[in-house]
Order: sequence, then C-alpha cells, then structure tokens
Amino acid sequence: MTDNNQNPRVHSGSIKERNEWVEWEEQCRRQLRRPFEARLKAVWPRQRKPIPVRDDVSYRSFETMEEYRAWCENNLPEYLGYGRRAV
Amino acid sequence: MGEERFDVSQAETLVDAFQRENVEFLFIGKGAAILMGYPSTTLDVDLFLPKDPENGRKVVRALRAIGFVLTESQAVEIIRGKDFVQLNEPFDLDLIHAPDGLPEYDKVKARSIRIEKFPLVCLADIIASKEATGRQRDRLELPLLRAFQRVYEQEQQRSQSHDQQQQEAGEGTRRLKRRVRGDKGQCAIPEES
Repeated sequence: MTDNNQNPRVHSGSIKERNEWVEWEEQCRRQLRRPFEARLKAVWPRQRKPIPVRDDVSYRSFETMEEYRAWCENNLPEYLGYGRRAV
Repeated sequence: MGEERFDVSQAETLVDAFQRENVEFLFIGKGAAILMGYPSTTLDVDLFLPKDPENGRKVVRALRAIGFVLTESQAVEIIRGKDFVQLNEPFDLDLIHAPDGLPEYDKVKARSIRIEKFPLVCLADIIASKEATGRQRDRLELPLLRAFQRVYEQEQQRSQSHDQQQQEAGEGTRRLKRRVRGDKGQCAIPEES
C-alpha cells in the first residue's frame, strides 16, 4: 500500500494493490461488527518495556507541540517513525 | 526486558479514576480509532484535555490515585496545561492540551463520540490531527485510516437502517397484537417485555 490520499477504490495501482485495499476494507468491516468488549481486548497488546529513549525518564513535558515534535525527531530512533522527513 | 506495558484493565482503571474526579477528557490518536473498530494496536494512551486549571487539578488527583508519582512541579505543569506531557510509569500516557491540527477542546468535544464509558475524539478529528503532524508513522497510517473511515460510515448507515427496520417491525407487531386482541379477546401473541 502507498501513502495515497485518493480513494483506494479509484486508486490506479496494480490489481494486487487494489485487492489489498479490498481485503483491508473487509478487515475493517469484520472488526466493526465485533462486540465492543472483544475489540477492547485488542487495543493494547501486552508488550514489554522499554522503548529506547522514550522510557529513559518517567516524565517529560513540552511547552509547545512543535518542541515535542522536534525532540522526537532529534532524539528517538528513526525506525520508530517519529521523524517528519519524507516516507 | 522490563515490565509489561499498558493493558485493557489499566485503560478501565484510568477511565474510572478520571470519571470519579469528573475530569474532562477525550481519548485521541490511534487508540481512539482502535476503540471505534480500527483494526490495529497501540502501545500508549493519548488523552486530549482542556487547558483549564481546575480540570488539571482533577487530572493530577486522578493520576496520583492510580499510581502515577508526580512531583509538585510536574503537577503544576499539568495544571497549567503544558501542550504535551508524557508519563511513563506505571504505564505510557500522553496528556495533550493542544493537539496538532485541531481547534480548542470545547469544539472537539462537541463533535466527539462515546462508546461505553470511553469518550473519543471523532474519527474525522483523529485523521485531521494525524494529517497535521507530518510524521512518517502517521503518513503511513493515514490511507488506512481514511479507508477505515469510509467503512465506518457505511457501517453506521447500515446499523441505523437496521435499527429503523427493527423499530418499524416492532410497531407492526404491536399494531398486529392490538388488532388480534381487539378481534379475539385474549390474544395468543404474548406482549414483548
């Protein structure tokens, strides 16, 4: 799948890519039809700490969102995806 | 590796604590979308809070009640409503007072939704907020979220249409029961409870 702002239904990708979108929509539909209690269990999977850098301290704060975004970009590992460079 | 991260029981503990203190808050971000049915997972909790010192005091009380250790200076920052506060213990929690791409809290609250006891920023606002961050992770997620939004809206319409049909069918049955009772005296069709 690509970073595409267009409706995937009219998306001009390959058949494989269109099929992936159809599958995704079906997955969304199935999840929406599950009871809320079942969905709730899946939101936060049990995972292990720590996340590098983020968990180095138990508290941090930023006066503005821009400061926070800049901190993420300059400090968090790139693979976490907090950077604002092109995908 | 260390301790386990956030889980659903902690989400309920958090909501219960905030609601006991009458905190104004909304779930925002991917967590809120997942609560609506977006098929994914997330590691932390993002809450949108109004910049209101009285609400901030309630937030601090609620957090302390469920095990967050806050110094006085940290409490003051939360009460003051710094744009972004990140807490990691006992679980990851982001307090956001000015999310990217969204207007002030009251406007977002007015179009928010609630599922069970979870107050959620509406899907359009979640998407608007992610569009505004410009982060790589959000840019990758946005097409999926937009596709989910279309399915979500279709399912809402389907559900409303189903409810309407049920209601009409119920009225039809009640009319039939009244007619049967009227015609035959003691009706064989039991009343719905």
